[in-house]
Amino acid sequence: MNRYFYYSFLYVLLINIMMFVPNIIIQNRYSGGISSLLLAIPFGTMLALLFSSSISRFPGKAVPEILFDHYPRWLVVPFMWMLAALYFLGSTIVLVAFSVVINRFYNPDTSSNVVLYLLIATCIYCSTRTTLSLVFALEVLIIINAPLVMFVLGKGIFTSDLDWDAMHTVANYFRMPPNLVSFAAATYIFSGYLNMSILNRALPPNFRLKHRWIIPLVGTLAMFTSIFIPIGFHGTEAVDEYLFIWSITADSMKMEYGFIERVLFLYLILYLNLTLLFTTFGWHKAMEFLKSTSKSHKPHLDPEKIPKINWIICGAFGLIAIIYSGVVNEKQNFSIATVWLIIRLFAEILSVIWICWLAYRLKSKSKFKVKGQSESK
Amino acid sequence: MINRILTMFADSKDLITKRMKNDDISIEVAYIDSLCDESKISEAIFVPFSRNFKPFEEIVEFSSEFKPIHEMTEWASSLLRGYVLIYINSKYYSYDASRNIRIENQNTQVESSIQGPQIALTEDLKDGLNLIRNRYPEPNLAVEERTLGVSSKTRIAILFDNRRVNDKVLKNVKKKILEINADMLHSAGEIVRELGGNRKQLFPTTLITERPDRISNSIAQGKVIILIHGSMFGIILPITFYDLMNTMDDQYESFWMSRTLMVMRYISVLMTVTLPAMYISIVSYNPELFRVQLAFSIAGSRSAVPYPSFIEVLVMLFMIEMLVEASVRLPRYIGSTGTTVGGLILGQAAQQAGLVSSIMIIVTSVVAISNFVIPNNSLAFAIRFLKYPLIFLAVFYGITGVCIGMFCYLVYLSSIRSFGVPYFRIHRKPARNAEGDLGQVSSS
Amino acid sequence: MRHLIFTVLFVFIASLVLGGCGFKDIDKRFFVVATGIDHSDNPNKPFRVTLRLAVTSPKIEPGAGKSQLETIDAKTIAEGVRELKAYVDKELDFGHCKIFMIGEKLARKEMDQAINWMTRRRDIQMIANVTIGHPTAEAILKIQPKNERYPGNTLFLSFGKEGTDSSYTVTEYIFGMRKRRTEKGIDPVLPIIMPENETYRISQAGVLNKKKLIIILSPEETQLYNQITNKYLKSSLGGNVEQDPYVLAVGRIQSRFKIKNNAQGKPVVEMRIKIHGLLEEAPKLVFDKDWASIEQELAKQYSKSVVRLLKKFQRQGVDPIGFGLKYRATHYSGGDKSWQEWQGIYPNIEFDVQTRVTIEGTGLIK
Repeated sequence: MNRYFYYSFLYVLLINIMMFVPNIIIQNRYSGGISSLLLAIPFGTMLALLFSSSISRFPGKAVPEILFDHYPRWLVVPFMWMLAALYFLGSTIVLVAFSVVINRFYNPDTSSNVVLYLLIATCIYCSTRTTLSLVFALEVLIIINAPLVMFVLGKGIFTSDLDWDAMHTVANYFRMPPNLVSFAAATYIFSGYLNMSILNRALPPNFRLKHRWIIPLVGTLAMFTSIFIPIGFHGTEAVDEYLFIWSITADSMKMEYGFIERVLFLYLILYLNLTLLFTTFGWHKAMEFLKSTSKSHKPHLDPEKIPKINWIICGAFGLIAIIYSGVVNEKQNFSIATVWLIIRLFAEILSVIWICWLAYRLKSKSKFKVKGQSESK
Repeated sequence: MINRILTMFADSKDLITKRMKNDDISIEVAYIDSLCDESKISEAIFVPFSRNFKPFEEIVEFSSEFKPIHEMTEWASSLLRGYVLIYINSKYYSYDASRNIRIENQNTQVESSIQGPQIALTEDLKDGLNLIRNRYPEPNLAVEERTLGVSSKTRIAILFDNRRVNDKVLKNVKKKILEINADMLHSAGEIVRELGGNRKQLFPTTLITERPDRISNSIAQGKVIILIHGSMFGIILPITFYDLMNTMDDQYESFWMSRTLMVMRYISVLMTVTLPAMYISIVSYNPELFRVQLAFSIAGSRSAVPYPSFIEVLVMLFMIEMLVEASVRLPRYIGSTGTTVGGLILGQAAQQAGLVSSIMIIVTSVVAISNFVIPNNSLAFAIRFLKYPLIFLAVFYGITGVCIGMFCYLVYLSSIRSFGVPYFRIHRKPARNAEGDLGQVSSS
Repeated sequence: MRHLIFTVLFVFIASLVLGGCGFKDIDKRFFVVATGIDHSDNPNKPFRVTLRLAVTSPKIEPGAGKSQLETIDAKTIAEGVRELKAYVDKELDFGHCKIFMIGEKLARKEMDQAINWMTRRRDIQMIANVTIGHPTAEAILKIQPKNERYPGNTLFLSFGKEGTDSSYTVTEYIFGMRKRRTEKGIDPVLPIIMPENETYRISQAGVLNKKKLIIILSPEETQLYNQITNKYLKSSLGGNVEQDPYVLAVGRIQSRFKIKNNAQGKPVVEMRIKIHGLLEEAPKLVFDKDWASIEQELAKQYSKSVVRLLKKFQRQGVDPIGFGLKYRATHYSGGDKSWQEWQGIYPNIEFDVQTRVTIEGTGLIK
């Protein structure tokens, strides 16, 4: 069942492009972006491993259940609200950003809101599904999309248009001290493990994470490709001029012998899927966190009938997203994403430490018990 | 006895009742003429009774063919199934003399296979059981008989391997069968619809098959089978989407060949669903997606067409759907004429008349052909429908809409459950048995 | 119930869209296959925009590619394109425009605006080719080659990798142009298209500094430039050994360079070139001669011509090979310092070019 963990790790990692992570780091390429990247690798890996190993001590329980079991409601409820808001905002940022991208390249003559409404309607429908259904959809989508992502990346790496000198030049700046914004952006690449906070409900009781080396390896690869390939294509200076840096980079690739020549369209279809997946999961998680704060709520992995409350919450999400897109413009969305990334970093650290502490206490308690039993014998 | 039966079947002219007497004993016999084989009756009852080499009482008592009847309530149903009722020595017996009219041809017709077994289920329940028992000679094979339908009293048999079957599924199925409250049930399709619960279900969640080898394979996989008396098809449940995309030939052919065919089948599903919508969205929203040559030639061939692309698509699709519908229902010898007229003449003429572009003709035929590749009929019907919502989305949103639609289909598919079992899950057996499965904690 | 909600939602959204959708059929679009931008000598309307529009036909055969030419003078390029819309009956579509041509006069003056317009427009592909038209872009676009299968295919194929593989043709895409125009340490090179007998000749290249066209390279120089910047290039290498002409068909050419300080402490560009090839033209019985001496002689002549080319670049203060970028990549000294250092070094840097030619065979005869 390890694959389900890695699927959820993978899609968050791939969505970093829509979360403005390359933009932020490229903006800071001469002032600490690269060193933040390097620092983020051990840090992100550590958080991921700590969290996944401690939450597997609570088989079949999601974060809300674990916290409500051990702490009073007044402490946990605000925390749940915060997490829900965070997840919701994160996915909405991506959705709004992507609706602009898709509008620019695919439907240039319509308003981006029109596309956004359809995206929102889709996300409302999809995020109301049961957790288990979403996990199955995730598996299929990752299996379909991952090879295509590999193809686009491979196309990028093995082309003669890539300027290794430019990448080398930027890489030289690893000597600059890291800064918080880039660090927050870079650690985002690893934050897929947080999906465990809800998905743990579905995982089997004897779940143990295997092949842990995948996390740093794939994370590092994704990180470097998503930042250095654009630099290689557009040089050290022009790379900062583009708004949708990866769309432009994909457009700079060419499939001479493909059915379609422009990689851009493949890339957009790919990221359309990933964005929908990300938002669906983001809203679903936010919905589950919100539902857990109600006293009468009983978590259910795969109810036969979709409860009405799902529709109500997700419908509200959709409305807020529409309002958000009306109030916030492209530029503000970018700065909100920057702030979001930083806040997320702290929220992430907080929840990892909290769960770790609980797991540690549980472990020492059970050890104590075992000790006591053996002594009494 | 005869009086009582006569009052029960007052208006049935084909009910035959006889009182007979030989040297030792007198019996009463009743049966429905139209349901029974007269020669069987005379061989088993009249001849031995009248010759009386052996006391007839003994024959009746010791032969397994004569079954004692204890309740009066069973009389009517036994008679209606083609049994002969015999009253002898104040005891009641039934004798099976039923005559079933059925097709004798046992070759597979719907799911033909190239090198696999060619035999199909028959309309007789007993023969069906025989075929399956022969292919699955295990003592664990459980067979439960039921009757369904208030009036039709269709006999069905539920088969499963009681060691391998998933108890949750079995319970679910039995519950659903009990809930069936229809008057008439004749075909597997009707039973499937009654079992389905959700009437608006788009995808088939059971597999209707005529192949005994497929049924026995499914039993070995722990699935539940329903056989119906009077229908050549059995029902397999629960199933996944991938089962429907599978043919028996995949197991009989070599590994690489069958895998390649499987991949091809999935690609053709993708094509039949998205191609018309993609045509609209590329032609009307993003012509830069084509290569230059193709774009120019499509633009050239479309310039004679006065309608927007979606009208063109809808016209052609409507025509091809009519052709398919017509050729299914027509008698075989007219069928081929129909397809020739439709396919060749209409297609060619429509293009020359400037009603559709030449690329559209290709698109339409690819859509139709790739739909025929789908091995399961009910799935093929479901998938035939899928392209229309996508066309709708393509008209308004272009490629974006098509991709979003496909995403919705995927999520919809993964939220379907077939009798509690995930329908769209990519199923791989866990690497080690010690490893648990998803959703274990909550279900236990 | 939930289906009902979904349907209602859907219909609601669909009705929202019905008002303004971007639905436009392919036959209602006019595809621009090439765009030319010239200087018009009119101070009020300095830009002359020329569009070559494809007239599509269902048949694709030699000579069937017809196109229509539209020209306008305008204050800005965007305005020009917008005004041109009034001249045609269908929507202009730049989605298939693969060739952007800048007139030589404009290129010599100032081409910032043109490049900016190309990158900012969303429907122009980043993999379109940027070229210079000599004498004007308009003159080049007016040529309609006779054997074109579809409009524009001669130009598309000349630059694409599927068609001809001429070693005299430099290709530059919009994204590459934009990169070189802003990058510190590498300058743009654009192919120059010239008219010749109702068709095109693309055998020369122009080197630009960050602003305008500086040098026009001769065909031989263009090939040299191509050889030292590409790896697998089918090209040729000629030379005389003992008054006999030799031509080598180059199969593989590999060049790498380093920037070093030599023994005297002066910075040097060290370039090493390896060439493998078959003899295509040689005196009789070359098979029996000593190949090593031929190789050395050819290599020496080749190195000399490369140095000559590099010196030419240096004199004009342009750097199309990317020495500056290499220097920045290998000599990190914090902030922007290495770039400033390089600007001081480049005018006086020395070139040390060494070539190794390997003759792999003499073709089919001795």
